[in-house]
Amino acid sequence: MLPLTLLNTSQGHPMLVELKSGETLNGHLVNCDAWMNLTLKEVVQTNSDGTRFFRLPECYVRGNNIKYLRVPDEVLDIAREKNQQQREEQRKSSQPQRGGYNRQYSSSGQRGGFNRNRGGGNVGRGGGQFQRGGRGTKY
Amino acid sequence: MENTDPSLLPSIIFTTAAQLVDCVDKKLLVVLRDGRKLIGILRSFDQYANLVLQDTIERIIVESMYSDIQRGVYIVRGENVVLVGEIDPEKENSIQLREVSLDEIYAAQQDEIDNRRRRELTKNSKLIDIGFSIDTQQEDMY
Repeated sequence: MLPLTLLNTSQGHPMLVELKSGETLNGHLVNCDAWMNLTLKEVVQTNSDGTRFFRLPECYVRGNNIKYLRVPDEVLDIAREKNQQQREEQRKSSQPQRGGYNRQYSSSGQRGGFNRNRGGGNVGRGGGQFQRGGRGTKY
Repeated sequence: MENTDPSLLPSIIFTTAAQLVDCVDKKLLVVLRDGRKLIGILRSFDQYANLVLQDTIERIIVESMYSDIQRGVYIVRGENVVLVGEIDPEKENSIQLREVSLDEIYAAQQDEIDNRRRRELTKNSKLIDIGFSIDTQQEDMY
């Protein structure tokens, strides 16, 4: 799974965040987004020398300040499982669509030819792209 | 166009993070901008070269000494990556370095940092003497 997907699945887990400045934040991940912005709770912040410690009930980190994150080993397994589940669901939901030409045509036929063609094309292409990317990263 | 050798094409096409596909599930050395060296198995990456490393160790190398620290799973933000190199498992055990204790390596590392700081200070004061302005920003450590 992609790095940011893994970050997403780490929500609720403890993690260590090191900032570019060398400061570290130890806490539980509450939320994160596509820019790697984070909110953490129950944080212990250390300065870059590791000589001083501060306890913060919660904190927000702007993603660009991050050097790296360390997450617990089990998060990888959890992410892998979730990914597997998602793929299966996707396969299940995409199979009837592929066979269901008739249904697709009849339902979009009410909207007119232009929409029908575009809709059909997008569905097919989107599915293909996802699978290709997934195989490259092996998850 | 003279260059029609098909074996040359891949290296031309994949000049971005995409060439990391070959490294997935392999043991890599990752050097960060702060000088850290991480050795771990690359599990995934994205277009920013953000990396996921599993079973990572941090290797501190000072001169011909080294020491390893077990670290686990890393998500490295791509900006901080200097280089990624594949480790040849056959040659891995024949490195010309001596493993020492953590205390020893920390002491040696501190010495190295102090020395560098001293050199930097003398260099900067010389530069100022001859009329240069210097930036106070910390240089990359790698």
